[in-house]
Amino acid sequence: MYSIKNIKLQCWGRLTHEPNLLYCLEEHTDSFHKVDKLKEIKEGNIWAIGGGKGGTGKTFLTSSIGIFLAKAGKRVVLIDVDIGGANLHSFLGINRPKKSLTNFFEMGIPLSRLAVKTGVDNMSLITGDVHSLASDSIKFTQKLKLFRHIMKLNKQYVIIDLGGGSHNNTIDTFLMADKRIAVLEPEIIAIENMYHFVKNALFRKIRMALRTYGFKEIVEHMWEQREKHNIKSLKELIESLKESFSYLGDILDKELSDFKVYLVLNKIRSSQDILIGSSMKSIFMKYLGINAQFAGYIEYDDAVWRSIRERRPLMLNYSLSRVAKEIGVFTENLLYEREMKISRS
Amino acid sequence: MSKKELKKYFEILEISPDSTILEIRNAYNRLKKLYSTDSVVISPIADEFSKKDRKEILEQVEEAFKKLMESLKGRHSSSPSPTGDFASDYDPTAEKTEEESYSGSVLKQIREKMGIQLFEVSLDTKIRMELLERIEDEKFDSLPQEVYLKGHLTNYASYLLLKPDKVTQDYIARYRAWKEGEKEKR
Repeated sequence: MYSIKNIKLQCWGRLTHEPNLLYCLEEHTDSFHKVDKLKEIKEGNIWAIGGGKGGTGKTFLTSSIGIFLAKAGKRVVLIDVDIGGANLHSFLGINRPKKSLTNFFEMGIPLSRLAVKTGVDNMSLITGDVHSLASDSIKFTQKLKLFRHIMKLNKQYVIIDLGGGSHNNTIDTFLMADKRIAVLEPEIIAIENMYHFVKNALFRKIRMALRTYGFKEIVEHMWEQREKHNIKSLKELIESLKESFSYLGDILDKELSDFKVYLVLNKIRSSQDILIGSSMKSIFMKYLGINAQFAGYIEYDDAVWRSIRERRPLMLNYSLSRVAKEIGVFTENLLYEREMKISRS
Repeated sequence: MSKKELKKYFEILEISPDSTILEIRNAYNRLKKLYSTDSVVISPIADEFSKKDRKEILEQVEEAFKKLMESLKGRHSSSPSPTGDFASDYDPTAEKTEEESYSGSVLKQIREKMGIQLFEVSLDTKIRMELLERIEDEKFDSLPQEVYLKGHLTNYASYLLLKPDKVTQDYIARYRAWKEGEKEKR
């Protein structure tokens, strides 16, 4: 459909009506580029949105990213696994769905039948349940079953809202995703919680990896004896593991380089705040040795609060606002695994 | 310096190997500031990320910057030797007021305050060094035609993080005034 010849023809056709050739060419090369890129993205379409602290805008981001992708013609499923605090439906302005993940866990109803319409074309929602399900009651095998079924929702973008905290279930879901997105505000508590969250996730990933290779005891023993070995941080643990057991070096290096986190800064109030994103990227690399990408930011705007109160999604109702544009920018960055471009002028 | 070493230095500064000199300098300034001050992003991990760790990082950053600059200077042997310190936190947008007019000497001043050598500008903007010199010295009689001059000025101004429109407008106005004067003389 998007062959070069076609584009040229279309541009030529429009030239007779519109003299602005440049605009036309730009528009088409852009979409050509997108179509081309999308073919490459076969996997990598399970996105998890977390970050540790509550109230940073995880649910708002989940709904907005979902709407942006759906409006761009992609099939999207949102999953609210913020069990105990599921409220994603409110951000979409719909009532709490009657079917929820409880039905999946208790009755084995497939995920595809739990998805409800959201009022946005191409986008459906699967919700957690506030009343009947305590997150502690989910067994490990149930969790694995859920992950397996999520991965089977193929040819769709699955956007998972994790909720706050660093509970094991939350972290496992975060690790399961193809794209791990951490949301934070430019303030010290959110930043602190984010470090904690990412560190926990990394530690768990390393432990799981070493377990599959049969070295489970080593890392746990080392961590228990951390005072004796003078280990204060995760980085020092990794270093002393490498020193003591040289054969673990390759495994650990691979785990570290595979671990990638995308950062999104929410509620920024000055251009100075944007720098926090690139600073954290640097610190993650130099302090934990992991790759963090600063995908983008959203500035503070009352329109967000207003749209939530009015129960009408910002991406639909204030689609021309700066916030909506910024959401579009970082969603595309996430899609194509790009970094935020920061211009100084 | 081997390619491997160069790559390592670029990695320490967290930039890609095809970065311009200005990007190298910006990365260096940014990292130096980040790891030498107690900011909101550092303090939550202050207990695990000690002053000693940070000092090591700062030393690495310092070394990487120095080595990269040396290697780039080696590539351009005709350049004058470096003077003053590398680091300059000078921000042209902060000091410059809209009222002032951008003459060649003002551009030169700004460039020198940023601690940037002429050959660095030349390397990044691909404008010949002699031409840059002539622009700064306002040797109007040996400058190219106005259209070309405008292009060079835009290029140079954006390299110095100035507003290209304003710089071009000011400079061209001076150029035209000189041209008028020349006509009258004849």
